Amino acid sequence: MKTPGLSRRQRALANCAPINEERIRDRSMRAAVFRARSSSEFENQQSFDRALATLVRAIPIPPETAEWFSGKDLMAPSKWTWRKTARNPVVLAIGIALVVIAGVFVLQFVGRLNDFPGSGTARKLLSIAGSTRSVVLDPVNADAGALSDLFFLKHGLEHYDVPAEFADFRTIGCRVFEDDESQRIAQIWVVEKRMQFFLFPAERNVKTGAVLNFQGWRYVHQEGWVGGVTERSGVCFMVALRGREKDLAPYLATAKQ
Amino acid sequence: MLGDSVNAQEVFHTTLREAALRAAHGELPNEPFWLFRDARWRCLEATKTDLQAEPFEMEEQEITAVAGSQIERLEPRQLAIWISAAPEPQRTALALFYLDEFDYREIADLAELKPSELSRLLALGRRQFQAWLDATLPKRPTI
Repeated sequence: MKTPGLSRRQRALANCAPINEERIRDRSMRAAVFRARSSSEFENQQSFDRALATLVRAIPIPPETAEWFSGKDLMAPSKWTWRKTARNPVVLAIGIALVVIAGVFVLQFVGRLNDFPGSGTARKLLSIAGSTRSVVLDPVNADAGALSDLFFLKHGLEHYDVPAEFADFRTIGCRVFEDDESQRIAQIWVVEKRMQFFLFPAERNVKTGAVLNFQGWRYVHQEGWVGGVTERSGVCFMVALRGREKDLAPYLATAKQ
Repeated sequence: MLGDSVNAQEVFHTTLREAALRAAHGELPNEPFWLFRDARWRCLEATKTDLQAEPFEMEEQEITAVAGSQIERLEPRQLAIWISAAPEPQRTALALFYLDEFDYREIADLAELKPSELSRLLALGRRQFQAWLDATLPKRPTI
């Protein structure tokens, strides 16, 4: 077919145009037939095909063969099963997308379940712990508990006390810095498993300014680091180490006792 | 496909018998057109030992507006013989297309052709058939 205005692909499709237009099942074929329909060549092809199909239907079928069909369809329409539906790429893609979205929501929900006042700051400090090099700290070789006085006298930080359970850990260095919310943070690096301690102001109620207390130790996770956080006198203390909860748990169990 | 009703009937019954046996053993393939594919291969097998026509260049003519009236003057058997004499895979393509039971993708799948090849073979078959029509049934003079 040399119908002008048809692309090569449409010409190829028009050559295969079904004799009965009701059989057109795809859009590209429908478009090709629609565009070719105006040409006399396509008209000739269609009447040629219709005449041949009529002739084919006139081919006599022997009775012993014809009885096999007995008016039933040669091909039973395929059943639309759930398995077939599930294997449809579109359904599959939508399903995967929904599962991913649901997974993100579940993760966020589970994450929120473990949230506590100050958990946002704690996570940010875990990121800082992961990127801190010992050279940025002032070298201090002392017991961690002894640094409370240093923080008070040198930096005016009240209640920045290392809990008694961690007070005997030997320190490598410490520093005081401000985070992006201008909160003053004390960071201590200790010898034991190269843990880091952080002391930072506890979260407060925006309206009343009251400290949002919480009881016991809470875990936070960030970038392969785990932190145990507790709050005392309006100051949060976090012990952080690279690893999992089970690595930190023995220290916190000792702390609880 | 075979141009001979006795051979066609034999292939038909062999295909169905084989299908019934496979069904009894629970070995039916899980693809939609396996029965037609099977029947096609049996047809090809059946004609493998037949005398084959010498390959020659068939004449071609563009389809004319009077082709329909020319075809009306044909006997179904003449068409069956013409199609059965076509070389593979053109024979399968023409036979399945004019059965008017399958769409072009299904025909291409059954005849193991790309859609572009199917398109070329159908267009070629039409032009060759038109040339044969012109040679066999001269056009009636128009008044």
